[in-house]
Amino acid sequence: MSIGRDGITGLILLAVSLFLLVKSFQLPSLPIVPVGPGFYPAIVLSLMAAASALLVLQDLLKRRTPAGASDAPRRNYRLVVIAFAIVGAYVALLPFLGFRIATVLFVGALQAALDRPRTVRQWVVLATIALGTAVMSYFIFERYLLVLLPRGAWTGF
Amino acid sequence: MARTLVTMAGAAALLAALSAPAMAQYPERPIKMIVPWAAGGDTDNIFRPFAAELQKHIGQPVVVANVSGASGTTGAREAKAAAPDGYTVYAVHDYIHLTFYAGISDVKYSDFEPICLVSATPSVLTASAKTPWKNWQELADDAKKRPGEITVGATLGSTSHIFPAMIEKAAGVKFKFVSYDGLAPRMNALLGGHVNLTDSNLTQKGKVEAGVLRYIAIASEKRDPEAPDVPTLKELGMNIVYEVARGIFVPKGTPAPVRARLEEGCVKATKEPSFAQAMKVQGTRVAFLNANDYAQFLARIDNENKVVMTDLGLIKK
Amino acid sequence: MLDLLWNGLVNIAQWKYLLPLFAGTLIGVIGGSLPGVTITMTVIVVLPFTYGLDPLAGLAAMTGVYVGGSTGGLIACCLLGIPGSPSSIATTFDGFPMARNGEPGRAIWLGVWASVWGGLLGALFLVFLTGPLAAIALEFGPWEYFSLFVLAMAMVAGLSESSLLKGLISTAIGLLITVVGHDPIGSVPRFTFGSAFIGGGFPFLPVLIGIFAFAQIMTDLEKLNSPRGEALQSPAGVRLERFSHLKVNLEIFKQPFLLAWSTIVGLIIGILPAIGGSASSVMAYDQAKKFSKTPNRFGKGHPEGIIASEASNNANVSGSLMTIMAFGIPGDAVTAVMLGAMTIHGIQSGPLFISQNPDIAYGIYAAYILAHPCMLLICLALMPLMLRVTSVRMAVLAPVVLVLCVVGAYALNNTMQSVYVLLLFGVVGYMLVKLGFPLAPLILGLILGDQIEINLVRAIMTDANPWLFLTRPISCLLLLAAASSVGLAIWQHWRHQTRMAGEEPDF
Repeated sequence: MSIGRDGITGLILLAVSLFLLVKSFQLPSLPIVPVGPGFYPAIVLSLMAAASALLVLQDLLKRRTPAGASDAPRRNYRLVVIAFAIVGAYVALLPFLGFRIATVLFVGALQAALDRPRTVRQWVVLATIALGTAVMSYFIFERYLLVLLPRGAWTGF
Repeated sequence: MARTLVTMAGAAALLAALSAPAMAQYPERPIKMIVPWAAGGDTDNIFRPFAAELQKHIGQPVVVANVSGASGTTGAREAKAAAPDGYTVYAVHDYIHLTFYAGISDVKYSDFEPICLVSATPSVLTASAKTPWKNWQELADDAKKRPGEITVGATLGSTSHIFPAMIEKAAGVKFKFVSYDGLAPRMNALLGGHVNLTDSNLTQKGKVEAGVLRYIAIASEKRDPEAPDVPTLKELGMNIVYEVARGIFVPKGTPAPVRARLEEGCVKATKEPSFAQAMKVQGTRVAFLNANDYAQFLARIDNENKVVMTDLGLIKK
Repeated sequence: MLDLLWNGLVNIAQWKYLLPLFAGTLIGVIGGSLPGVTITMTVIVVLPFTYGLDPLAGLAAMTGVYVGGSTGGLIACCLLGIPGSPSSIATTFDGFPMARNGEPGRAIWLGVWASVWGGLLGALFLVFLTGPLAAIALEFGPWEYFSLFVLAMAMVAGLSESSLLKGLISTAIGLLITVVGHDPIGSVPRFTFGSAFIGGGFPFLPVLIGIFAFAQIMTDLEKLNSPRGEALQSPAGVRLERFSHLKVNLEIFKQPFLLAWSTIVGLIIGILPAIGGSASSVMAYDQAKKFSKTPNRFGKGHPEGIIASEASNNANVSGSLMTIMAFGIPGDAVTAVMLGAMTIHGIQSGPLFISQNPDIAYGIYAAYILAHPCMLLICLALMPLMLRVTSVRMAVLAPVVLVLCVVGAYALNNTMQSVYVLLLFGVVGYMLVKLGFPLAPLILGLILGDQIEINLVRAIMTDANPWLFLTRPISCLLLLAAASSVGLAIWQHWRHQTRMAGEEPDF
C-alpha cells in the first residue's frame, strides 16, 4: 500500500478544510442573525473534509500499475514556469509602470520567451505586435469602453 | 532573455523621463468617479446623470467607475487609497458612517475632504400587498399584538436597516429583520410576500399604482408632490426624517485649488434644470450644500448615526 | 396581442430603430467575444447614447447588446478555449475540442444557429407568457431558491468525467471560494487572516477567467517541446474545414427535444433573478448529457453540448427580460441598466408598464426578435475574420489573450485587486487541471455559492422552522429531483466504471 498523487492532494485538502473548520467556529456572530457567519462555511467544509478523506482512502486502496512506461508526450514545464513568472512580473509592475508601458514590455517579453526571434526582421515584428496590442487595447478600453486603465505611480503615464 | 530585460529597463527609464509630471491647469485629463455600488442601482442611477452634468462644467470627461463589493467598502477603500490629485472623486452616501460603526469598514468619512452634497432621497416604508394593513395605524396595532413576527427585508447594518429600526424604536414595536441586499431583491421578496415590509423610495411608484405594493409612510419633512396621499412619519407622530444623502468626496490631501474647481463645477451642475428632472424620476430631490456646509452636515449625521447604531446594539467601534 | 406585436415589428423596422439595434448587436457580439469584457460593461457603453435618443431607440440598442453579447461569447469558447463571457462557459467544454479536431467553423455555427433558434423559441414565451411565468417566479421564496440550487449542484455532480469524488471536491472548492471575504449577511470577515487582499473576497469573473485562461494557455505551452519546435501553432489547428449551414441546422433540428428542453432550462433560470446565464449554460449542458443516448462523447466535441449551452443562454435573455417587463424588477446588471434607461426617460416601470406603454413594451419584444437576424448577419460578416485567429502563432496569441484577460479583470471593478485574483486563480486553475479535478462543478459552485448561503440564511431568518424546506410544495419537489439526480448520477457512474477500468491521469 503506497500513497499516490491523489492521496497527497486529498491529505492537503483535508488538512486545509479541518483548519478552516476550526476557524469557522471562532467567527463572531451577530445578535439579529439566528445563525452565525460560520454556519454555512462549516457545512461546506465538513463536506469537503469528508470527500477529501474518502479520496485519500480510495487512493490507498487502489491497485497500482508499476510506474514508468508512460507514453505521454514530454511536457515543457520550464516554459510554463517562465510564462507564469512573466505574467507575475507584469501584474506586479502594472500599477507602477502604468498600463501602456507595462503592456508593451509584457507582450514583448512573453513573445520572446515563447518564440525567440533570430533576425532583425523578427524583432521588428515582435516590437510591432507589442506596441500594437498596448495601443489598441488602450484605445478600445479608455476611449470606447470608458475604463480608465491604471497609470504608473513611477511614470505618471 | 537577458537582452530583453536590458531593453525593457532602458525603455522604462526613457519613458519615465519623458513623462515627468507637469502640474498644468486642472483638470487636464479624464476624472474617475468611484461609485461603490453596481451599475443600475439607485446610487449609480443618481450619479450617472450627475457625472454627465459635471463633465459639461468642468471640461473633462467624468467617467463613472463602479467599484462594488462588501457593502460599498471596496469602493471606499479604493477611493481612500487613490492619489489626492482631484482625478479620483468618490460618490458617497450615508452608508459610510454605518459601515464604520458596524465594524465592517475601517474607512471613515473624515478620511476624505467633502466637496458638495448633491441629492437627498427620502425613505418610504413600503408594505407588500399580501399583507392586510392599509395604513400605519393598522400596521402598528398588528405589530404590537405580534412582536418580532412581522418581517422586514433589509441590508443589515445599512440605511435600509436603520430606517425601519428607527420606526421600531419610535413606535415601540419589534420587527424581524431578514437580510436582502439591494432594492431589487427586496422588491422581489415583497411582491412575492416573502417579507412584509421594506424600506424603498418613490421610484417604486409604478408598483404602488398597480396595487402590488403599498406605501405606508414617507420619511420626508413634508408630503411629496409625487405621492401626495402618502403621510409623513411626522404627521403620524414619529419624529423621524430619514433621507439618503448623496455627495462627492475627494481623498484627504487634495490641493485646495483643485477642490475649489470641483466645488464650482458641482454648484453649476446641480443648478441644471435637466439634472432636477433626472432626480425627480429617481424619487430624489436636488440638495446642494457647499463644502463647508457639507462638512458640518456630515459631522452631524455621523453623530446621529452613531447614536442610532448604539441604540440598536449594532455598534462595534 | 398579435397585432400589437405586428405593430411593434413594423415600428422597429424603421431606420431610426433598426440602426441602433444593429449597432448594439454588433457591439454586443464583439464585446461578448472578448474574454473579460462582460455584457454589463458593453451595455454601459451604450447607455450615454440612449440619453439623447428616443427611449425605444436606446432600449433597442441595449436589447441588441444583450442578445449579441450572449452569442458572441461562444466565439472565444470555440477558438481559444476561454469563455468570452460567463454565460457561454459550457460551450467551451465541447466547442473547443470540436475546433481542435479541425472543425472550428462547424463548432461556431452550431453555436450561432442554436443561439438563434433558442432565442427565437424564447421569444415565443416572452411575448405570450410573460405575465404568468413572472408570477410563478415571484412564488420563489428563499426556501425554493435554496432547494433549486441544491438541485443544480446535484445535477452537476454527474458532470465529472473520471471521478465522482473529485467532482464533489471541486464543487466544495468552488463553494469555499465564495465563502472567503466578508460574509454576505453581516459582513463579518471570514478566513481573511487580517489581509485586506483576501478581505476583498474573490469576485466571480476574475476567478473564472483566471481558471480557464491560464489552464488552457499553460497546458498549451507545456506541449511546445522546445521554444523553436514545429508545434508552435494556435490552439485550434490551422486548417479551415468546409461546412454548410444546412447541415448544421439539420444537426440541430434532428433533436427537437434537446433544443426545446435547453431553451426551457435557460428560460426558467432567466426568470429567476440573481442566477444568470452562466448557470443556465452549465445546467442545460448537464441536462443534455443526462438525456443523451451518447453521454460518453460529451467533452470531446459533441454537437449536443454546444447546442444545449448556446440555446439555453440566449433563451436566458428572454427570461430575464420577463421580470422587468412584468414587474420592473431587474434580474441582473444588464436589465438593471435597461431599467435605468427607462427611468431616465420618465417611463414608469412596474406591473402596469405593458398596458400603459404598449408601443415601448412591444417595441422591446420586436427588438429582441429582430436582434437575432441582425446577430446572424453580423456573424456571417465577422466569422471569416474571427476564424483567422486559429492561424495565429501561439507565441503571439498567448500574450495578447492574457493582456485582454488582465484588462477585463481590471475593468470589472476598476481595481488591481481583481487582477491579483486573476493571477492567483490562474495558478490554482492550472494546478487543479493537472491534478485531474473537473472544472465544471467548481464553476457552478462558484456561481451559486453565495446565493445558496444567502437564501439558506434568509429562510432561517424568516422562519426558524426547518421543515418548511419539505412542506413548501415547490421546494419539496426540487429537493426530490435533487435526490433522484444524485441517484441517477451514481448509477450511471457505476455502470461506466464496470465497463472500463480507471486510469491514472498522466502528469
